[in-house]
Amino acid sequence: MRRADRDQEVVIDRIACTAHGVCAVMSGGAIELDEFGYPIPSRVTMSRDDARQLVRACPARALLLSRPT
Amino acid sequence: MSLIDLLDAAGLTGRGGAVFPTGQKLRAAFAHRADLIVNACDGEIGTHKDALVVAEHLDELRHGAGLMARTVHWAAHRGSDTEARLLEAGLQVLSVPARYVASEESALVNHLHGGLARPMMRRAPVVAGSTSPRGRRLPPTLVLNAETVWRVSQIERFGPDWFRSFGTAAEPGPRLVTIGGRVERPGVYDTAAGIGLGDLLQAAGAIDVAAVGLSGLSGGWLLGATAWATVWSDADLAPHGLRTGTGAVHVLDRGACPLDHVARLTGFAAGESAGQCGPCMFGVPAIAEMLDRLAEGVLRPDEVRLLHQRVGLLPGRGACRFPDGVAGFAASALRTFRTDVEAHLAGGCVAARERSGATR
Repeated sequence: MRRADRDQEVVIDRIACTAHGVCAVMSGGAIELDEFGYPIPSRVTMSRDDARQLVRACPARALLLSRPT
Repeated sequence: MSLIDLLDAAGLTGRGGAVFPTGQKLRAAFAHRADLIVNACDGEIGTHKDALVVAEHLDELRHGAGLMARTVHWAAHRGSDTEARLLEAGLQVLSVPARYVASEESALVNHLHGGLARPMMRRAPVVAGSTSPRGRRLPPTLVLNAETVWRVSQIERFGPDWFRSFGTAAEPGPRLVTIGGRVERPGVYDTAAGIGLGDLLQAAGAIDVAAVGLSGLSGGWLLGATAWATVWSDADLAPHGLRTGTGAVHVLDRGACPLDHVARLTGFAAGESAGQCGPCMFGVPAIAEMLDRLAEGVLRPDEVRLLHQRVGLLPGRGACRFPDGVAGFAASALRTFRTDVEAHLAGGCVAARERSGATR
């Protein structure tokens, strides 16, 4: 079960993503890339701080914080 | 009873392949005062039912559409007879490029509001409003397949009990099926879930059935012997990893190599990616290239793992479900035509062998 107070879901905008691969480096293995350089998972969960940092780091602005559900 | 109650009672689901409950969609559409796009594109390979609905039931279609929205747009492929018929009737036509993903729900909405006919990333259903690629808010839009709209009109007129007198309890109502390929009487058949696929094949005059493809590029395959004995319903097709989908039925005879056919269709798919999402833009052509070499008999056995891996990585990684459909199609072909795959990896071909056998 995910901890609602801490965990933040990051969603990948597949159209915006242009395979820079920064997310793979910064997520410490949480986001793996396929052979073409695109993230394999479409959403990953991490701490809010990490998530915000990751979203800011994407050169294509292809990472989005998912809305709280 | 309100229209939504009637649709809920009838159990109508979308006839465009997604099988979403129409009453539920309409409830959201009414809540958001959504405009309506009637999708008469017949975008799936081998599906021609929407053309028939427009050609033969346009008055009922217009009535059905009018029950659901004040503003109605009619989507049809550019240059098609369907488009000409809709224009002649004086309707507001959304002229859609005849490309596979162009008639996908969000692509239609994008196109209606001046964008390209390409799918959009969605964070909520388009019926609640969407965001254009340039960040503009697009109004709530209800997109329904033409056959679905026709069924809405029929349910309003004849009632849910009439509707439920067709099909099965879980998959009620009449359905249109397009049968093509190696049959004597190709065309659109008025039927319902629960009919034997063999009965459909017989009605269309299929004699030599090596394999049957269901629902075009968003579906998959059954071997002939299985197809004759299988019931055409989502419940009965599920064990084969298949679904009724858009209702397309395509027959291959023993003279054709199924892998050849599959490679041709996947090659077509590779050219139909909208080129927006990386996994689809690179993944589909990569699979198509391997299937092409498999059909040619030059794929190396040690490459099969990579092929399966590439197919496995396609689903769930696009703005639309096109890559999911192609992955399902390719996986089903590799599974169903296992004997042919093995023969091709060894440099032979089952169909070619049978052809030469038949002439002896």
